[in-house]
Amino acid sequence: MSEKRQEPAAKIGLASVDGMLIWGAPVDEFHLAFRRIRRTVTTIFHLLLMVASGTTLAIFVWRVVHLDALDGVLTSAFWFGGYPEVALFWLGIFIDCFLIFRLMEYGQDAKRIPGWDKGAVWNKEHEKTARDRAEHRFDVSEYFSAEVWEVIDAAYRLARNLSKAEVGIPHLFAASLASMTGARFLARVGLAFEKTKEPIAQLIRLGEASDRKAPTLSPDVVRALIIAYEQARKDRRMNVRTIEVFLACFTQDDRLREAFDGMGYPPEHVIHVAEWIRLREKMREDHQRFAHLAMLKPKTAMNRSMTARATPLLDRFSEDLTVAARNGYIPSIVGRATEMEELLRSIESGSRSVVLVGPRGVGKRALIEGLARRMVEEDVPSELFDRRLVSINIPQVVAAGDASLASERFFAILEEVEMSGNIILVLEGIEALSGARGSGPLDLSESLANELNRGRFIVIGTATPDAYTAYIERRLLGSKLARVDVPELSVDESIRVIMARSGAIEYKQNVFFTFSAIERAAKLASRYLHDRAMPSTALDVIREAAVLAHRTRGDQALVTGEDVASVVHDKTNIPVEAVSQDESEKLLGLEERLHTRVIGQVDAVTAVAQAMRRARAELREGKRPIANFLFLGPTGVGKTETAKALAAEYFGDEANMIRVDMSEYQEADSVYRMIGAAGDERGGLLTEAVRKRPFSIVLLDEIEKAHSDILNLFLQVMDDGRLTDGVGRTVDFTNVVLIATSNAGTSYIQEQIQLGTPIEQIKTALIERELKTLFRPEFLNRFDAMIVYHPLTLDDVEQICWLMLRHIEHQLAERGIGFRAEDGGVEILAKAGFDPLFGARPLRRVIQDRVDTQLADLLLRNSIKRRDTVVLKADATLAVEPAKAIGT
Amino acid sequence: MKSRVGAVAQLLFVDLAGSIVWFPVWWYTRGLQRVMNAAYTAIGYRIRAYAFGVWIRNFFVPMYGLHDWTSRLISVFMRLVVLIGRCIGLVFEILLYAVGIAVWVLLPPTALILAIQGGVLSAIHDRTSAL
Repeated sequence: MSEKRQEPAAKIGLASVDGMLIWGAPVDEFHLAFRRIRRTVTTIFHLLLMVASGTTLAIFVWRVVHLDALDGVLTSAFWFGGYPEVALFWLGIFIDCFLIFRLMEYGQDAKRIPGWDKGAVWNKEHEKTARDRAEHRFDVSEYFSAEVWEVIDAAYRLARNLSKAEVGIPHLFAASLASMTGARFLARVGLAFEKTKEPIAQLIRLGEASDRKAPTLSPDVVRALIIAYEQARKDRRMNVRTIEVFLACFTQDDRLREAFDGMGYPPEHVIHVAEWIRLREKMREDHQRFAHLAMLKPKTAMNRSMTARATPLLDRFSEDLTVAARNGYIPSIVGRATEMEELLRSIESGSRSVVLVGPRGVGKRALIEGLARRMVEEDVPSELFDRRLVSINIPQVVAAGDASLASERFFAILEEVEMSGNIILVLEGIEALSGARGSGPLDLSESLANELNRGRFIVIGTATPDAYTAYIERRLLGSKLARVDVPELSVDESIRVIMARSGAIEYKQNVFFTFSAIERAAKLASRYLHDRAMPSTALDVIREAAVLAHRTRGDQALVTGEDVASVVHDKTNIPVEAVSQDESEKLLGLEERLHTRVIGQVDAVTAVAQAMRRARAELREGKRPIANFLFLGPTGVGKTETAKALAAEYFGDEANMIRVDMSEYQEADSVYRMIGAAGDERGGLLTEAVRKRPFSIVLLDEIEKAHSDILNLFLQVMDDGRLTDGVGRTVDFTNVVLIATSNAGTSYIQEQIQLGTPIEQIKTALIERELKTLFRPEFLNRFDAMIVYHPLTLDDVEQICWLMLRHIEHQLAERGIGFRAEDGGVEILAKAGFDPLFGARPLRRVIQDRVDTQLADLLLRNSIKRRDTVVLKADATLAVEPAKAIGT
Repeated sequence: MKSRVGAVAQLLFVDLAGSIVWFPVWWYTRGLQRVMNAAYTAIGYRIRAYAFGVWIRNFFVPMYGLHDWTSRLISVFMRLVVLIGRCIGLVFEILLYAVGIAVWVLLPPTALILAIQGGVLSAIHDRTSAL
């Protein structure tokens, strides 16, 4: 009967290099129980053997110790004379031999996957002969580790308890999730086991029920198990482990993927986490191999052929990277295979010396350290065989004070390197040799180039692209060095680097990273931090997040994506955390809040609020500023006030606004003031301001007054979200709100509004006629919205008057004085301050003259005491209402 | 049901009793092969550690970067001495591994024979002393 039930599963096979993969082991109550018993019996048997061997040897030792004369032990008569204790000794040895055999043959919990310990040559041969084995059945079940069998056992019991006819993938998945590997996996995902229970429970209840008590493995499960073998085989694992079964279940079942997606973890996320777990296991195996090979590398400056020479001066100014790698101080490199190949090829091809060119933080040093590790393993071309990689500290050499002394010292070092003959020299920041770091007339680069010309030693230098262009490329040194570009890593590659480095950070801070922390560190750093290149910025962020989590939550804290987001927020002031309830209410009510400061101007306020919501919900393109607005309209209608209100409401403070008065940029030369002159480290006014505060409003006041060259500059800002300053630094503008204001066409707007023309029509006419003379069409095209501000009505001015008086109320409240205004008084002030041409500006003057001045007089005369109330009467005069006596 | 009987039979006769029969065969086939492979790998590692290749390639290259004639002569002589020394060391190590393999081959029968011999002789001793 059991054979019949196994039938559907047995039919499944997958062609592979090992033959036709099938699942041969019967999985039912009896066999699972048998497996358990067999394991227990084997363990007990081995323990018994150990006890027997131990006892015989113990008796022997005890008898020997109690012998009258120990000298007899060394005679042949003792060993062959037929003493019972000696017989016991030999019996013990024989039992030990048997135990060795048992442990070697039966001790492993599973068979080893073919080829796991074989090299590439064996595997290639094996692949070639695959056709011969195509007809052979290959039972994969023997290669599953004991932990997986426990998982299968648990899955079986789960299906049986639920009275299912078959063990389905959800059962197997649920069982693997409950295993140790599953726990490790969930911790990395950042998901509590409890949370997965409900959706998984729903899945395992699905499927046909049966009154039969013995379920069978479903064909899907058999397929998943075979795929798990296939995956383990591909990764050259020793046995199939739970993580492979887990992944195979996950990739084979859509419902599981949907369940995790529903919990907020898309399939790629889950697969990445599994990769991470496997990457760590693989790194452990790599480390074992490295440690084994490192023992062969000399631990001193002397090479193995002993042709080298002592280098006392060099040793003082340098660090031996191969020795550091040999002693385990250098982590392994992840990725960068192309660059490493290019580096080795350049050295091998005869151009010999190399310069690595890449932005700061891109991992040039990591590449050199990777080379040091490969030199320790001697996995390098013959030019680098049996040599050491030594990094010179250039600033220390150059900082001799006296140029001639520095130069002398440098030559003495080069002489040592040349004589020793086993040194590959690393010069980090090689441009410093050209006097690039302010060391005056000192230029050692030409001399180094001459030395290199003689071809006695190899140099590997590093430089940033700017430094390379400025100090190396066109000099003699440039022609001697083969350039190898080290580009910035992508987000995905950076994730892998952080994964690889995470172990050391976790150990140091005693915390655990979730995958979301790593992923967000890479994504946020690539998007918001541009001071240095990836992956260095992402690594900094993840390190700081680990410190933060440890400080706030103590040992064993889980570092989540939110920790990373808050680090990035602190660094940039950009809100990148998940939108909180509080903030989402604030965002949804942004119009209302802006309207408390900006009177009228519904279009403008709505457009601004909508742009902010889009930005915060991450629905905008990441490559442009949050929004580019052009505010058009007469003076004093609230254009600048809108920007200020937004800065106060959303950017935290009115001061978070970079205001640029474009009337100061009427000359073409003034562009240098804005972005900085070439070579001037101080940078430009605008670029420096945005670099320091990337999340802010850039207000370009009266843009029509600027020189057309300056407007061209903003074409790039509005389109690409970046601007390069005079020194060559790229400044990120993707987190600014760019607001340009203009009075252009004011008279036309006023005229048309008086005639009652609809706003849309006015806008079209403005763009087509009035603005065309001032701005180029491509400039206007780049604005997300051009908003025409209405001239203010008397009603608006009255409301503004109330706002201004409220401001006075606040100022007086600080001195403990009350303030109140009567409607009539406010009306008088508003009428006096109303001017259709100048908007609300005259009102400010009126309030200054009639209210502020009077108040000042009253205060100076000491006519107002604390707790008194100042009243703006209906005739717009001020009166003081004395406070009531205390207690009345 | 057949498979159940087979399974129990496997546990009792193949796993436990069978291993006693399988033990001597395994010891001189697969077991011996594994021990020899391990010894071979270990010797290979030692050869790499002694760096014979590097020393032979650099036989005439002067040591310590000293290029004058005297130094060259001394260097060649020293290299010859060191190479011979290392060869002796290696031969010694190979002998050690060979002894290990010989022990592997001889140990089980020797131990068994001596255990039986000792047991039998002591039984005879007991009987004669009792008589």
